[in-house]
Amino acid sequence: MIDVVIIGAGPAGLGAAVAAAEHGLQVCVVDEFVKPGGRLLGQLHEEPDGKWVNGIEEAQKLYNQAIGLGVDIRCGISVYDLRKLENTWCVYTTDEMIESKCLLLATGASETPIPIPGWTLPGVMSIGAAQVMGNVHRVKPGEKGIIIGVNVLSVAIARELQLCGVHVESILLPQPGLLAGSAGNPEKMMESLLRLSHLAPSPLIRMGGKWVSPKLGARLFPKNGFKMWGIPIQLRKAALEILGDNQVEGVRMAEVSANGEVLPGTEKTVSADFVCIAGGLTPMAELASVAGCSFCYVPELGGHVPLHNEFMQTNLAGLYIAGNITGVESAKVARAQGKVAGLSMARELKALVYGGNEKLYAAVEEVTETRRNALIQFQPGIEEARKELHRKFDETYKQKLVSI
Amino acid sequence: MSEKPTIVCRCEEITMEEIQETIEQFHCSSREVKLRTRAGMGSCGGRTCRSVIDRLVEELGGATVSNEVPLSYRPPVRPVSFGVLGGAKE
Ligand SMILES: Cc1cc2nc3c(=O)[nH]c(=O)nc-3n(C[C@H](O)[C@H](O)[C@H](O)COP(=O)(O)OP(=O)(O)OC[C@H]3O[C@@H](n4cnc5c(N)ncnc54)[C@H](O)[C@@H]3O)c2cc1C
Repeated sequence: MIDVVIIGAGPAGLGAAVAAAEHGLQVCVVDEFVKPGGRLLGQLHEEPDGKWVNGIEEAQKLYNQAIGLGVDIRCGISVYDLRKLENTWCVYTTDEMIESKCLLLATGASETPIPIPGWTLPGVMSIGAAQVMGNVHRVKPGEKGIIIGVNVLSVAIARELQLCGVHVESILLPQPGLLAGSAGNPEKMMESLLRLSHLAPSPLIRMGGKWVSPKLGARLFPKNGFKMWGIPIQLRKAALEILGDNQVEGVRMAEVSANGEVLPGTEKTVSADFVCIAGGLTPMAELASVAGCSFCYVPELGGHVPLHNEFMQTNLAGLYIAGNITGVESAKVARAQGKVAGLSMARELKALVYGGNEKLYAAVEEVTETRRNALIQFQPGIEEARKELHRKFDETYKQKLVSI
Repeated sequence: MSEKPTIVCRCEEITMEEIQETIEQFHCSSREVKLRTRAGMGSCGGRTCRSVIDRLVEELGGATVSNEVPLSYRPPVRPVSFGVLGGAKE
């Protein structure tokens, strides 16, 4: 039986693999994608100091480090079930069943859809799919695209598509209504955008990030939107329908008021050959649920997350989580959490020697620090929400975990 | 434009209207919506539309969101062949 199985070869999983293997643990990482790196593979950002962060290179570095430490990384196989025996986790994969003493779930986040009339047409995809096509597979999703859903992720990926040589016609809201929920509300979306202000070259937003209230921002928002990297971001326009006979041909849109009502008589049709839907992210916790973890509903973290503490322990013995499964945050935070999980598992398996506990506490501190400096904040109030979650965990489970 | 004919569950082609009527008639949970309409029961395993169904249930006055995952996950959480389930290597 091996010491540690890690599901997910993203920054969290690989970060954990490195930390655990550095302490002499035998580690196996399983990922269903053909390449290791998780969502890092799609990322390409310019930091405020002008340096580019290339996710593919970051992933390669982490991979090399893990391989150098003897980690067994298996790509292209999916985990479909988990089972706990007395002191063992059984991981059922499409290749074989693997048994381990500790198990880490680092399965990341999944995208939330926004159903829109016409969204089943070929040429409509999630924003993440467009990112993977362009940045990972080097295939243009189309020549001229429209992005429905204004948020941190859609703006960041619009920029990446532009770097791929794709024309992004505009980023606009979904039609207001039950299906779109808050994604169709200009004020709410203004709030989300303001968290990106330090990335934005637009003076309006840069200033806005400091003082404009989302309410005021949505009301003052220019009718034709403003541009970031030349891409019009339109909080006062909404997509009513995606049009096309056999594939996407365009989008029917209209102007909306500051609280998201469609203004009659403002409809028009804009042509496009692909459409991306950006509804946001939610932690992908299916395997934690199958394993029997306790859950908590935390909107700041993106939805239902397995209850856990700052050492990345769940309420089930030997089961750990790290990265976006614990809440949607940036890749650097995921990686820092991975390190904590790796060290925690080393602690459980009595492999943490010579100042190991100090190392673990320092790693926990590093997560908080990384979070504070993160370029992209997916939601407001993450730090407070996490504190509350950890408190809840301690309240419920501390006594049971004293053995470690 | 009315949202009613919009497809929510792509695998089973269940519209907003069917889901809305079910929630309003039975004041039910996501799970009951799934069992009554098949929304979220198709080949993707509900991985696409589950969050929309949860939100509709909440907004239309069905069961409120709790700490429990509303639509429970059941293994296999990925499509697998009978061969794999039976222990054969591919
Ligand atoms: C579409 C999208 C775009 C994003 N863009 C950005 C961005 O631009 N900047 C940013 O900072 N953050 C971005 N994020 C957030 C991103 O998720 C984190 O930055 C970071 O990649 C999370 O790391 P992780 O290791 O937790 O998960 P991931 O990097 O998502 O890795 C999880 C891995 O687990 C694997 N996996 C999941 N389930 C299974 C299973 N059952 N069996 C086998 N393998 C499985 C997946 O294949 C995946 O490789 C994005 C997220 C998404 C979903």
